[in-house]
Amino acid sequence: MLVNLLPHLVNGLTLGLLFALIALGFMLILGLMEQINLAHGSLFAAGAYFAYAIATPKLPIPADLNQAWAAVPLGWRYTVAFLAAPVLVAPLGLVIERLMRRTYGRDPLYGLLLTFGIAMVLEDAIRALWGTRDYTLPVPRDITGGFFMLDLIWSRYRFWAAAFALAAIALVWVVVERTRFGAMVKAGAHDGEIVQAMGIDIKKLRAGVFVLGTMLAALAGVIMAPIWGIRPHMGIDAVVPAFVVIVLGGVGSFWGAVLAGLLVGMVVGLTGAYASEWSLLSMYLLLILVVTFRARGLFGKKSLLEA
Amino acid sequence: MTGAPAPAPLLANQVRTFTPTMLLTWAVLATLPLWIERVGLYQYLAVEVLIWATYALAFNLVLGHAGLPSFGHGAFFGIGAYAFGLAQFNIAASLWVCLAAALLAAGLAGALVGLFISHRRGIYFALMTIAFGQVFWFIAIKAHSITGGEDGLLRIVRLPVELGVAALALEDNVALYYGVLAVFVLVSLGLWRLVHSPFGRVVKAIKQNEERARFVGYDVWKAKFTIIVLSAALSGLAGGLFAMAQRSAFPDVMSLHYSGYVVMMTLIGGGLVSFWGPVVGAIVFLLARDLIGAITTSWMLWFGMLFVALVMFRPDGLAGLFGALRRPATAPPRPALQPGED
Repeated sequence: MLVNLLPHLVNGLTLGLLFALIALGFMLILGLMEQINLAHGSLFAAGAYFAYAIATPKLPIPADLNQAWAAVPLGWRYTVAFLAAPVLVAPLGLVIERLMRRTYGRDPLYGLLLTFGIAMVLEDAIRALWGTRDYTLPVPRDITGGFFMLDLIWSRYRFWAAAFALAAIALVWVVVERTRFGAMVKAGAHDGEIVQAMGIDIKKLRAGVFVLGTMLAALAGVIMAPIWGIRPHMGIDAVVPAFVVIVLGGVGSFWGAVLAGLLVGMVVGLTGAYASEWSLLSMYLLLILVVTFRARGLFGKKSLLEA
Repeated sequence: MTGAPAPAPLLANQVRTFTPTMLLTWAVLATLPLWIERVGLYQYLAVEVLIWATYALAFNLVLGHAGLPSFGHGAFFGIGAYAFGLAQFNIAASLWVCLAAALLAAGLAGALVGLFISHRRGIYFALMTIAFGQVFWFIAIKAHSITGGEDGLLRIVRLPVELGVAALALEDNVALYYGVLAVFVLVSLGLWRLVHSPFGRVVKAIKQNEERARFVGYDVWKAKFTIIVLSAALSGLAGGLFAMAQRSAFPDVMSLHYSGYVVMMTLIGGGLVSFWGPVVGAIVFLLARDLIGAITTSWMLWFGMLFVALVMFRPDGLAGLFGALRRPATAPPRPALQPGED
């Protein structure tokens, strides 16, 4: 009985790490700009679609070049897609940051509306470019298929996905907690004016944080693509769990986001074991339950977005 | 509302029950079926515009008047639509019963949500409404035996208006339009009175500064809860009309996208600064959907860009633009909402 639950737990943990990864990029932007970026999910989707275009390959380049690239072994194509997609999506994040600048310091409602509009534009742009059908991101053979352990079949890719996500989360931790850039971001989230007065260019800092958040979203999209499939509304499907994780963990808390991500993933995974139909509902119920008793989430600090 | 200052009689007298704008709006809408086909549109579009305008007015009670950004209002609209259909199938095929069911069911859902979110503000409020909206949307899709799942409730009938002695059929689009117009007139009149009542002033005070309103002695929680329930119930009423117009109820309208669309409509028209803004917004939104949609399948791509530009440059919407044009050039432009003001 317990062994039967194990795969669901592992799936839940994988999902949780990915939710945490999406949420961390979302939170970096929320922390420094005090604006919700509803287009974060679109960047996640863009990462998946770009990776698909590179790995398949269906690039907007002359046909013979595409064919030459298609002859390259999948392992290489996938690796390039994995590394290049986040970099290619980054300029999109810069454009959104440029548009969002007008909302800084204003009611967060405007940022929310602006990025909702951007998300709708990007979602329709994806439909216009790729159509409404689902795509599958091809994954090298080494990391697909299943293997036997404890009399159960395990998906190899899920372990890889968990490892990738874990590595990316660790990277975020290092950047935020162990670098000068991270110190500036944290100081900026605390008091932007003081940081500006100390001679740090807050505009560049914001752009930098946006790029980092964008790349994390795109990377999460690439990792998630083989599990979820690539489809136009995958952005909304990703951004909503991300803010559930943020609110649950507490706005502004790194460990809160990681823990809440894992918690949400586990709850979704375990509900999946008993009532797969309702697995996503459980995450909202968890959120409503926790926030009813702890208004600021598990590790939330006062101040940020209290108004 | 202990300690609330008595409304000054002078102020109460200043607000007229009927204003020229209101009467003009109603009059134009009343003649709409006579000329809509001559400008190349169709009768059903007018029905849809009126329903969404009613919904947007009800939604603006929360967003524009109370300053509470709800991104999950589609849930109430959808619950109203399902309640209309379910009441028709299971209780009685009477228009009054079905509309009452839509109003009540959405109002009850609003009360349930209101219990959880009336204490919240700003971004937290928005995020919690998204979470609740998703819960209801999810239930609508998954509770297949009740809601018909993705297929929705089909075969909903356009019920006649029973007036005791006579019954008016609403089968035809023009007849339905006048039926919906009657509801629109009642709802807009009621909302107008509400917004300009002493209670409306409390709501306005909460929008401007919730903490100050609390310190002055208003029961902020109760006022916000009431506003949420009223807005939800009226959104449900609009949803019921929509189910009748569409002859079906679908989970689509409860999704985050559709909940966002009503926010878009309200803002485009200028719901933050104008009572009638949401009506203008609903008209613009649906016209754009049909006109841009006739040229390209990805109409939201273009409309979304317009919307983004509007939020960036004219957050007070078309009403704000109109107001700015009407104001003499010498007058300093009114600033958009300041941080902390809203």
